[in-house]
Amino acid sequence: MQTMMKLEGITKVYGEGDLSVEALRGVDLEVGVGDYLAVMGPSGSGKSTLMHILGLLDSPTSGSYLLDGQEVAGFSRRRLAHLRNKKIGFIFQNFNLLPKASLLRNVELPLLYGGMGKVERRKRAHEALEMVGLADRARHRPNELSGGQRQRGAIARALVGRPSVIMADEPTGNLDQQTGIEILELFGELRAGGQTLIMVTHDPAIAVRARETIRIVDGLILPNGQRAAA
Amino acid sequence: MNPTQFLREGFVEIREHLGRALLQTLGVILGVASVVATLGMTASMDARRDQYFLESGGTLLMGVYNQPPAQLEMSARQRAKTGLKLSDAAAIRDTIDGMDLVVAEIARSLQVRAGATEERFRITAIEPEFMQMRELTMGSGRYITAHDMETAAAVVVLGSTRARQLFGTADPVGKALNINGKAYTVVGVTAKKIFFWQRSDDYNAHEWLNRLIVVPITSYMKRHQEAGAERIDELNLRLRSPEVHEESRDALEMLLRSRHGIEDFGVWDRQERLEQGAQEDMIYNVTFMACGVIALLVGGIVITNIMLASFTERMREVGVRKALGATGWQVFVQFLIEAIVVTVCGGAAGLALGIVFTFGIMSVMQMDMTITASMVIVSVASAAVVGFFFGLYPAVRASRLDPVVALRYE
Repeated sequence: MQTMMKLEGITKVYGEGDLSVEALRGVDLEVGVGDYLAVMGPSGSGKSTLMHILGLLDSPTSGSYLLDGQEVAGFSRRRLAHLRNKKIGFIFQNFNLLPKASLLRNVELPLLYGGMGKVERRKRAHEALEMVGLADRARHRPNELSGGQRQRGAIARALVGRPSVIMADEPTGNLDQQTGIEILELFGELRAGGQTLIMVTHDPAIAVRARETIRIVDGLILPNGQRAAA
Repeated sequence: MNPTQFLREGFVEIREHLGRALLQTLGVILGVASVVATLGMTASMDARRDQYFLESGGTLLMGVYNQPPAQLEMSARQRAKTGLKLSDAAAIRDTIDGMDLVVAEIARSLQVRAGATEERFRITAIEPEFMQMRELTMGSGRYITAHDMETAAAVVVLGSTRARQLFGTADPVGKALNINGKAYTVVGVTAKKIFFWQRSDDYNAHEWLNRLIVVPITSYMKRHQEAGAERIDELNLRLRSPEVHEESRDALEMLLRSRHGIEDFGVWDRQERLEQGAQEDMIYNVTFMACGVIALLVGGIVITNIMLASFTERMREVGVRKALGATGWQVFVQFLIEAIVVTVCGGAAGLALGIVFTFGIMSVMQMDMTITASMVIVSVASAAVVGFFFGLYPAVRASRLDPVVALRYE
């Protein structure tokens, strides 16, 4: 199996001295290309911090992080932003679509920051919307869409830059059960297409959808033996 | 991300928060409006003054009049010697190159009789170049000529108002006119000259030219003064060009002082008045501009404040943009351009408001309004500068936001 992400001894410490908090205490993790991984853990366990580091939103205090064969720990914020733009697609619990922009413009955003020309951008954004079944909603604003449609729009935005990894943070948390299942089915299709997915959730019923689940407690990933049991 | 995209984001931001944007840019609107109104009013009034000068002989006119020294005790003999003389005019013509036209003038109230009308009128005795100097044109007949001067011809040229007063609607050319008992013949009537400072005004600034009764100065001296009397009232002068103004004026005063022995004359000078006027304009402009600049500064502070106040509201937006790969620089440019778009729109609104204001004042004063390029440039540029400087701080803050913190913000 080809490796997409490889974490070794990742720590993250917030604050300094006596007030410091160790959010991650030496995490080792390997995610292969095409994996569909669920990250579970109680709140305060460090799963959000892990998510942020994996998603290049934050840098680890120590340790090594190889993304697609490239060591990224210690990158400047600027380089992280560029890399994030190319390699990571985010999906949030509350969708985080820009309310003032049409769905199409929302989906175009990553390409815009990547410096893609207008014509190509339009084309790719339309393709992404088609993939999630929202081609006819391109001109609508987020507040004119249902929750499920919004999340599918957000998925289109995450997909549009053809990222190496899609990171979803409680993607069904704000949706009713039926809609949530539809979103997870969409994830399943993406996974079948070879897309690497990492999903953070606290809901075991959702985690089982993933091919693998890891549990994180007190800043550490539970040993492999318990991985399957999760 | 190219600039047009940022511009578009800026306009979207304004459209979405019209009330906030308006509040934000109110100071800029008022500041720019007051600057524009100041520029507009001075420009409009200057334009009118320049127009008047243009239509009445240009800015190169100068004049010398008698002004006996006040304190000096003078004998009757001395007093008889002082004052401007016809020979001064000749001396200026001969020695001062910078003087293009020199016209000696005497003006007196005399008894005038034409047909059945008899009344005291002011008679103006001049030299032929007066026509050129005051940009006169003929309504009928001809003006005073050099030949009239040489022969001291008994001819008279009337202004249009006087002509109508003395002869009614009939053409007076060829008709006889009697001045203090001496017979003259009317040879011409000048065309009516009109200049209104204000629209629908009843004061014609050129009317005095329409009321002139003009005779050759030699004829006047021969018929209405005792032999040998050489004194004149005034010298009308015109400079060759603005460049020779200073040297010619100095030469003029030196020449007359040396010829008269004392300073017994005064000088009026349009060029000088224009320079003084420009200086007064400057003081006026600077004062009002300072008020405008203060308003702009206050406007700028308001912009910074409102941008910072709306910051928390936009934190999540910044977080999302960063999560999608926006660099700090891209966020910085977006916020800065947004601020500049807001202020430049405010500047444009201020320009419009200033023009409306100027137009209002000018219509009350019944004057035409002049819009200059500087009004447009100053308003837009100053607004952009305010947007730039006062948008810097919020833009820097937005660009430095940690995406993790920004995303977590509820």
